[in-house]
Amino acid sequence: MKKLIETYGTALAGLALFVFLAIFANNFLSTANLFNVLKQVSFLSILAFGFTFALITSELDLAFANLCSLSAVVIGFLISSDVAWPVAVAAGIATGLFGGLLNGFLVTVLKVPSLISTLGTASIANGLAFMITGGVAFVGRWDQNFLYLGRGKIGSVPVIILFTLAILAVVLVLSTQTRLGVHLQATGENEEAARRSGIDTRKAKMIGLALSGLGAGVTAMFLVANLSSAAPQMAGDFMLNGIAATLLGMTMFTPAKPNILGTFVGALIIVMLSNGLVLLGAQYYIQDIMLGIIIIVSVAVSASVLKRAAFAL
Amino acid sequence: MPVKISTRNIFKNYGAVEALKGVSVDVHEGEIHAICGDNGAGKSTFIKILAGVEQPDRGEIVVDGKPVHFDSPHASLTAGIATIHQDLAVAPEMTIYQNIFMGAELTRNVLGLRLLDKPAMRRAAVGYMAQLNPSITDMNAKVNELSGGQRQAVAISRALRWNADTVILDEPTAALGVRETEQVLDLVRSLKASGKTVILISHAMQDVAAVADRISILRTGKNQIDLEGGDLTADNLSHYILSGTGDRFH
Ligand SMILES: Nc1ncnc2c1ncn2[C@@H]1O[C@H](COP(=O)(O)OP(=O)(O)OP(=O)(O)O)[C@@H](O)[C@H]1O
Ligand SMILES: [Mg+2]
Repeated sequence: MKKLIETYGTALAGLALFVFLAIFANNFLSTANLFNVLKQVSFLSILAFGFTFALITSELDLAFANLCSLSAVVIGFLISSDVAWPVAVAAGIATGLFGGLLNGFLVTVLKVPSLISTLGTASIANGLAFMITGGVAFVGRWDQNFLYLGRGKIGSVPVIILFTLAILAVVLVLSTQTRLGVHLQATGENEEAARRSGIDTRKAKMIGLALSGLGAGVTAMFLVANLSSAAPQMAGDFMLNGIAATLLGMTMFTPAKPNILGTFVGALIIVMLSNGLVLLGAQYYIQDIMLGIIIIVSVAVSASVLKRAAFAL
Repeated sequence: MPVKISTRNIFKNYGAVEALKGVSVDVHEGEIHAICGDNGAGKSTFIKILAGVEQPDRGEIVVDGKPVHFDSPHASLTAGIATIHQDLAVAPEMTIYQNIFMGAELTRNVLGLRLLDKPAMRRAAVGYMAQLNPSITDMNAKVNELSGGQRQAVAISRALRWNADTVILDEPTAALGVRETEQVLDLVRSLKASGKTVILISHAMQDVAAVADRISILRTGKNQIDLEGGDLTADNLSHYILSGTGDRFH
């Protein structure tokens, strides 16, 4: 019984939240609102999957949101300079991946703790994003095929939701059913034990942080295509939301461990909560207060890996 | 028997501490080679160098007649040397089977993808553990729920999993009761019977006397005495360690 609550308690609370909002929040159950919620979940969860992979290897990535903004700005800049959109998207995703690899290099080769090194790269990414845009946003002429990624629908279902489910399936298999997945986990759980078992733990941490950057790049593509604009700081809000989704996820399914499914459900709960608070007419600042509480309580109940990552200074 | 692993003049400092000051040992193929000595003599340091966990400052390691450089534990493992370290190095928050198969997971083909074969790993893990501690059957249990001796069984099983030519055990019976100790010694004998080479570090002289074919006694970072096993008793061995001389005890 205790184990069941530990494993599924948060997910059940999410279900209760859903029922509550369905009853008390006007419009919550409308198709448009539900798809809107799922769209927000898409952006948030893809970003947070990356953060989750880094955290699985016991490294914190505080740069993912700013890297996402930088990638978005790169895409916007290239498209508005008349570069073919697939090339622009590839460059944007490569920007995120490169940022993640840079974080990996700083952590595994230069031995700068991730808490510090990713704080540094976050600031660099932010500065670069403002440099590229000159402080304003790229808006205007976008290829319809590109916008389809963020706005297209199959029937009444936004394609981005389908992309997200496909990505969820891939990263779920990668993290729980492959050798790479357990090597990342073993590295995060006990680096020395993993190393002595023949696992290349530096490579594992490198991959964890690189996946975080990759998630930022992919999210940037969807964000730009959805908003048909690209601005520095456009993913800024995803920073705390992404961390909160991951930490909330650690209270589910494999308690005390960062896990992909937990992150996804965590993202669902957080977006539902924000959406519901708006629909219920709560003040805008209530959301920030809720996020803070979620972050603190999640860590208090579960997060041994997080404590290792944060205090490995 | 040919020499399986030979070290020449291995030196290792930790800062100002001279842990090894020229260790030269020949380990013969198919034998049980015990390494004894007081606390701090350098036994674990020597083992870590053979396992690729630490790198020597100087000296040479030769495996099967070829000089080798173990720059990582991976290199030692792929050279056919599996090591159970004194501190066990298990991941307490992971399950028994995950620990046993860490770094050497079993996979199967699913639609062209190489995915983990968890049922096969659990089954095989039961087999390894049964040789040492048949009372543990739930391979999904986390290692931090196990007793010290049970953890030791997990660490030993992990080394067996590599099916290595050479198995190194650093204090494998330190946390064990009488029955479990006997099981580990049986296992050491059965490793030898299947043609493997075993390096055994132990403070338990009666265990060493019972199984060792050859014994090297380390003293302050040097191998002071090399002995043939067979007719040695635990008392003889203790005398050698205490006196630090190769004179036969009367
Ligand atoms: N990581 C380290 N850093 C500094 N000094 C170390 C380190 N590891 C071992 N030493 C020192 O090296 C010497 C040899 O230690 P080692 O662990 O090899 O001894 P041992 O023979 O295995 O002892 P025991 O019987 O207690 O296990 C000791 O003086 C020890 O303090
Ligand atoms: Mg020792």
